[in-house]
Amino acid sequence: MRKTFQKWLLIFVASAFFLTLCLSFYLQTREAKSNSIDLIDLKLDDAVKQIKLNTRNVEAIRIMTESEALAKARALAEIILSNPEVLKEKGWPGRMEKILDVDEVHIINKDGIIIASSSATGYDMASNAQSREFLKGLGDPDFEFVQGAQPRGMDQEIFQYTGVSRLDETGIVQIGYYPTRLANAMSLADIENLADGFRIGNHGSILITKSGKIVSSINDKLLGMRMDSFGIQSGTLNKKEPFYATIEEKKYLCKPKIFSPYVLIGILPIDEMYVSRNEMVRSLVFSNTILFSIVFLLVSFLVDRVVISGIFHVNRSLEKITEGNLNERVDVRSNPEFVSLSNGINTTVSALKDAITEAAARIDKELEFAREIQLSSLPTVFPPYPDRTEFDIFAAIFTAKEVGGDFYDFFMIDEDHLAVVIADVSGKGIPASLFMMTSKTMIQNLAESGRSPAEVFMDANRHLCENNEAEMFVTAFMGILEISTGKYTFVNAGHNKPLIRQSVNGYDWIQTKPGFVLAGINTTLYKQAEIILKPGDLLFFYTDGITEANDPSGAFFGNEHLKAFLNSPEAIDAGPDQLIHLMKKEIDSFVKDAPQADDITMLALRYKGS
Amino acid sequence: MEIQELKEGSKLTIALSGRLDTITAPDLENKLNSSLNAVEELVFDFKELGYLSSAGLRVLLSAQKRMNKQGSLVIHGVNETIMEIFEATGFTDILKIE
Repeated sequence: MRKTFQKWLLIFVASAFFLTLCLSFYLQTREAKSNSIDLIDLKLDDAVKQIKLNTRNVEAIRIMTESEALAKARALAEIILSNPEVLKEKGWPGRMEKILDVDEVHIINKDGIIIASSSATGYDMASNAQSREFLKGLGDPDFEFVQGAQPRGMDQEIFQYTGVSRLDETGIVQIGYYPTRLANAMSLADIENLADGFRIGNHGSILITKSGKIVSSINDKLLGMRMDSFGIQSGTLNKKEPFYATIEEKKYLCKPKIFSPYVLIGILPIDEMYVSRNEMVRSLVFSNTILFSIVFLLVSFLVDRVVISGIFHVNRSLEKITEGNLNERVDVRSNPEFVSLSNGINTTVSALKDAITEAAARIDKELEFAREIQLSSLPTVFPPYPDRTEFDIFAAIFTAKEVGGDFYDFFMIDEDHLAVVIADVSGKGIPASLFMMTSKTMIQNLAESGRSPAEVFMDANRHLCENNEAEMFVTAFMGILEISTGKYTFVNAGHNKPLIRQSVNGYDWIQTKPGFVLAGINTTLYKQAEIILKPGDLLFFYTDGITEANDPSGAFFGNEHLKAFLNSPEAIDAGPDQLIHLMKKEIDSFVKDAPQADDITMLALRYKGS
Repeated sequence: MEIQELKEGSKLTIALSGRLDTITAPDLENKLNSSLNAVEELVFDFKELGYLSSAGLRVLLSAQKRMNKQGSLVIHGVNETIMEIFEATGFTDILKIE
């Protein structure tokens, strides 16, 4: 019961535990993903802002650089106008370069040829696409042109040329310089370098793609690779929804953002995305284990206290009641339900007890009736044959509480023959009593038909063996006295040997070998014997109720005591009636207050002669 | 009364001590009913048995009848008191007492 309950409680608590855990896991997973997407979105927004900012910076610096360069070129044109002779001065361009902080100064004539320069005098501007651009301004007095900055020379360093019309004559004043700030700004703004500046979480980053090709990544190995080589189609990117992708054998959560012509993709490793969730779940497992253990122990303890121990008490009491102790009271007062249950059981048991007492009283009464019927079948009127002077007979049965199987009997077979029987049916109660009645009637009937004692026992034995399902048996002793001669013929079926007092001698046992008990084995043979009684001889018959009477210490009355008492001066000359009363007194004084276990039956017969 | 059983193959030895009377005889009867299957040699050891009543005799008779069908019954260690009971009741004729 306790185990069953604990098993179910454990199953319940464990289920709740796992359910809670699964739910937390699911919610934390969702939370982790949503947080990661937010994080990526934020970074992508930052990246886009950075791109826009960079673009604006480059533009501002470009305008600044251009206006500064134009101002320098115009100043140079003014210098030449005020003094055209400087052009003939050797070293003037170099000096101007230093003064204006530029790298090259070229003065071009109306034919597009450089006429003054620190490095390229005589160069024809038409000979190169880059320089040729400036020739379109020849002859335009308002010509001002800032050429786009472009890489130059071996190291591909950014270089820029700016030119204005000469004021003194047709031609162009051109300066060349390294636009360092512009170059720096441009370099900064270069989209290819952008990815290096962004990390998402610890190991996440941004990929910038253009037409499906990675143009910027913190991981140089990925540069130039196509997104579809990772299984990501442009359709996926254009949906702007998060997706998963495996890049270099690592799984990432990806979120695209379109910033035309680029698509920025924020990527975050899955394991990193779940770091917080895993930590959360770990601590949840720990705290839940403690929490649910406490719940389990607490509920288990409480139920044990409140319910199970109550049920145990009730069960223990019920066991005692089942074993027959109807005085047991159930007294569990731990809660109202048990009080009610206890009261209910007590009431039931009390009612049961009353019913049993009543039934027992009825059975006792019926047994008493049975006892009375049984005893009423025995001859109890003494003297039984007042007109017969040849013998005295007296018998008594002192019954134990329980219905026993002792009986005695005597009857005249004819005018000259008196039959005397004493017997003890094994067992007690109604069955023994019925068996006794059957045996008694059978022996009487057989004896009255004129059979000899041995024949009577053999026939009775056969009949009693039939249908003896209870396997009871009878010890019996029967004798037939021929009154006219004193011949006494007897047979013993396992019964206690009677005692005989022959005239002058004292009492002694009638020494014969007894046959087997009646109703035991149907083939038993019985042998009879005979003695001749002389006037004054007395026979004393009894059942084992005498010899096996117990004193309070458990000792038996015994054969020797019996014989000794019969031979005592008090008893030796007593007649049948007196002898039996003396005997009973002797037994009573022996057993004292010990309960009587068995019937005590005695019969005494004195032959007085014809 | 105490009942001790010793089973060796088809041989069953039952040692009794105390009193075999109206109260204790049903115990022995129940024991025999449950233990006698396939027993071919039943031995009663009465060395420690002090008293035997007619209820006990009934159980012995019953056991004897059963063992007549399936084997043998021998009683060992019968003391003088019990021997007297066996003789007085004629049980010496039907029991094998050693």
